[in-house]
Amino acid sequence: MSTKRAEYLDCPLCGFEFEKHDTACAHGCPLGRFCKLVCCPNCQYEFPDRPESIGLLQRLFHRPKPPVARPDAIPLTELDEGESSELVCLNCEHPHRRNSLAVYGLVPGSRVVLQQKRPAYVVRVGETELALEAAIACEILVRRV
Amino acid sequence: MRRHENNVAITADRPVGTGQPTLVLVGNPNVGKSVLFSRLTGKYVTVSNYPGTTVEIARGNADIEGESVVVLDTPGVNELAPRTEDARVTCDVLRDYPEATIVQVADAKNLRRALLLTLQLAELRRPQVLVLNMMDELRKSGGRVDTRKLSELLGIPVVPTIATAGMGIQLLRKSLESAAAPRVPVDAASGRGYEQTTKYLAEANKILAQVYAHVRPQRPTFAQRLGSWAMHPIKGLGILALVLYFTFWFVGLLGAGTAVDFLEHVVFGRYVSPWAIRVADAVLPFPHTNHTEVSQYKFQIPLTPTRGIVIAESQRTVLAPTYSIAPGATLGGWTQTRRLAHDFLVGQYGVVTMAISYALAIVLPIVTTFFLVFSLLEDSGYLPRLAIMVNRVFRWMGLNGKAVLPMILGLGCDTMATMTTRILETRKERVITTLLLSLSIPCSAQLGVLLAMIASISFRAALFWLVLNIAIMIGIGWLAAKLMGGDGSDFILELPPMRRPQLSNVFIKTFARLEWYLKEVVPLFILGTAILFVLDKLAVLDKIARLGEPLVTGWLGLPRETASAFLIGFLRRDYGAVYLLDAATGPKAILTPHQVLVSMVTITLFMPCIATLFMISRELGRKTAMWITLFIFPFAFLVGGLVNHIGRLFGL
Ligand SMILES: Nc1nc2c(ncn2[C@@H]2O[C@H](COP(=O)(O)OP(=O)(O)OP(=O)(O)O)[C@@H](O)[C@H]2O)c(=O)[nH]1
Ligand SMILES: [Mg+2]
Repeated sequence: MSTKRAEYLDCPLCGFEFEKHDTACAHGCPLGRFCKLVCCPNCQYEFPDRPESIGLLQRLFHRPKPPVARPDAIPLTELDEGESSELVCLNCEHPHRRNSLAVYGLVPGSRVVLQQKRPAYVVRVGETELALEAAIACEILVRRV
Repeated sequence: MRRHENNVAITADRPVGTGQPTLVLVGNPNVGKSVLFSRLTGKYVTVSNYPGTTVEIARGNADIEGESVVVLDTPGVNELAPRTEDARVTCDVLRDYPEATIVQVADAKNLRRALLLTLQLAELRRPQVLVLNMMDELRKSGGRVDTRKLSELLGIPVVPTIATAGMGIQLLRKSLESAAAPRVPVDAASGRGYEQTTKYLAEANKILAQVYAHVRPQRPTFAQRLGSWAMHPIKGLGILALVLYFTFWFVGLLGAGTAVDFLEHVVFGRYVSPWAIRVADAVLPFPHTNHTEVSQYKFQIPLTPTRGIVIAESQRTVLAPTYSIAPGATLGGWTQTRRLAHDFLVGQYGVVTMAISYALAIVLPIVTTFFLVFSLLEDSGYLPRLAIMVNRVFRWMGLNGKAVLPMILGLGCDTMATMTTRILETRKERVITTLLLSLSIPCSAQLGVLLAMIASISFRAALFWLVLNIAIMIGIGWLAAKLMGGDGSDFILELPPMRRPQLSNVFIKTFARLEWYLKEVVPLFILGTAILFVLDKLAVLDKIARLGEPLVTGWLGLPRETASAFLIGFLRRDYGAVYLLDAATGPKAILTPHQVLVSMVTITLFMPCIATLFMISRELGRKTAMWITLFIFPFAFLVGGLVNHIGRLFGL
C-alpha cells in the first residue's frame, strides 16, 4: 500500500464525506484550477476548501493519532479464530472508512465473530460475512464476551 | 457478457419521468433483485451469487393488475450514496424517476442492513414496498420475521417472497397499489455518513427487536463448511487447485480437445466444407481440380493432456479448400468473377471454410464449456472467496482482492468485464484493472485459440507464454500503480453464502452468453475474412508487408507476410492468431517454432478486440482509452522483439 492518502472532505451542509478529487464542479468550471471552491457531489453545495497555508501547517504539525488506549478494548486482530466479541468502537483514520464498515452493520454494540485471520481477516456480523485486511481489522476495537 | 440484457444506459441520456408508471427495484447487493426482475418482466438478466452482478440498469415491462408498468433493475447498494460507479447508477435512477414506486428487495436473513436502506429511502418520501426475499434461507437458518408487525411499524406493505421459486410474486403485484411512504422518523439533515448510519442502525435494532425471532441454528451446513475451507490458507489452496484442474479438464481437454476435434475434423472437415465446396463448384463453375487431403480422426475421452480413452478411430479422404488450375488454361472475365466469388466463399480465406468453420468449430465448443464451468463457479459463491486468496498479489498491483472479479469475468469476455470495473472504488483501480484486462487477460475464445496454437509447437512454449503473461500483468500493474500514485482502496468484501448452483440458471446464463457471443464474434470474423480476402486479391497485403518490414522483419524477426496477421489482430487478437497459425502449420508453412512463439507473444498483448476499445472509451473517457491503446500496441511489439532477440541469444 502506498502511504499517500486521498484527501477526504466533509460537506458542511449535508455532512456527506467525499474524496477531494470527486468534487462535483471539478469538470467544466470556467475558473478551472483557479477556483478554490469545492462542490459536494451529494447536495451540490459549494464551499471553500480549507486554505492552503493551514493545510500545510496542519501537515507540518500533524501527528498521527495515537491509538485510543481503552482499557476495556483490544483490536480485533488479537482475538483468536472463532472467538466472539462485542464491538466497542471504530478507531479509523478517516471517517470515510468508518462509514464503509458501518454500513455492513459494524457499529458499536454489535456482535462480531472472528472466523479466520489468514490470508485475510474474515468476520461475521449478524448474517454478513466480511473479508477485511489486517490494516482495517486492527482499527476495530472489541471486547471479548 | 451482459450485453444480452439489452440494457439501456440511463446515465448517459437521462430520460426524465415518462409518465408511464414505473417500479424501481432497489436493495442491498446479492439479495435477489435480478431474479425478481426476471420474475416480474419475464426478461432474463444475469443472476449470480456475488455482490456486484448488476452494474447497469436493466429495463423491462411487467403487467401488473392489468396495467403495463416499466420495471427497472438497479445495481445493489449498501447505502444511498454514490461512492462507487455502480452505486451512482442506482442513485441516478432514483433521481431521474421521481414518480417511480420504490420496491426495496431485502434478504430476510439480513434485515438489519435492509432496514438501514429502508430508512434512507424513507427520506425520499415516495411510495415504497418492502420485499423480504430468501424466506427459504431464513427458515433454514432458524429465523422468523413477523411481517405484519413490520408492515405496521414501517407503514408500508411488506411482502415475503422466494424469488427463485416464484413464490410471493403474485402477492407483490397485489400489494403494489397500497405502496405508501414509510411512516418512520428520518433524519435527512445530518447527511450520509457514519453518524447517520449508526443512528439508523440503532433505529433498525429497535424495529428488529419487535419483529425478529431467532432460534439457535444447528450445526454448520456442508455449504457453510465448504465456504470456510475455500478461504482457509491451506485447504483454500487445495480447493483452488481442484477448481483449476477441473476447469482445465473440462474446457481445455474436453472442450478444446474432444469437442473441437469432432466439430473441426468430422463435422466441418468431412461434411460442411466439402459440401460447401461442391455447391460452390456447381453454382460458380470454372475449370479447376480440387485438392484432397486425408482426414484422420480419433474420438477419445481425455484423462490428462497426453492420455485418454480412445473410443473410435477413422480415416477418410476429403476435399480441401485448395485447388489447381490446369497449366496453360486462360480464364475469361466472367470466369474470373465466378472464381473470385467462389474463393470468397470456399477458398483459403473463405467465409465458410475459414470464418464460419473457425467460429463454430473452434470457438463455439471452447466458449460453451467455459461458460458452463464459469456459471457454476459464479452461482456457487466461490469467486469472492478466491479474492481473499489473491488479495496479497493484487496489492502489489495497486489493487485489492475485489479486482479479482472483473479479472476473472475477463476470462469470459473482456468487454463486459471492463464494465464490471464499476464495482471498484477509485478511478486509479478502474484504470489499472482495465489496462490489465486489455493487456493480458484473453477471453475464453482467445485463450483457447492462443493456447492451442502455442501448444502446437511444444508444451514448454505454452508454459513459457503463460508465465510471461502473468509476469507482465504483475509487472505492469506494479509500474502503473507506482506511476499513478494515489492510494488504493480498502479491502472490505462481503462474502455471499455458498449456495448449490441452480442448474436452470446455469443453463440459461450459458445460453444467453453464447447467443450474445455468436452475435458479437461471427460478424467480426466474417468482416476480418472479407478484409483479408480483399487485401489478398488487391495485392495490398504486399504493400502493407513492405511498410511493416522494419518492425516485423527487423525487430520481430518474422517473415514480412505476417504483417497482415498483426493488421487483422487489431480487430480481434485471436483472429490474428489464427492467421499466424495458418502461416505456421498450414500448407505453406513459413514460420519456425521460435517465430511462432514470438508472434504469439506479440499478438496476445494486443487489445482483445475492437469492442473492448469502444467500451473503455465509454467507461473511462476517450482520453484514457487513447492512452491505453497508445501503450498497448507499442508495448506488444516491444515485448515480442525482446523475446525474439533474447531467445536467439540463448539459442532457444
Ligand atoms: N435460496 C434463495 N436464493 C435466492 C433467492 N433469490 C435469489 N437467490 C439467489 O441469490 C443470488 C443473487 O441473486 P441476484 O438476483 O443476482 O441478486 P441481485 O440483488 O440482483 O444482486 P446484485 O445485482 O449483485 O446487486 C443468486 O445466486 C440467486 O440464485 C431466494 O428467494 N432464495
Ligand atoms: Mg442484480
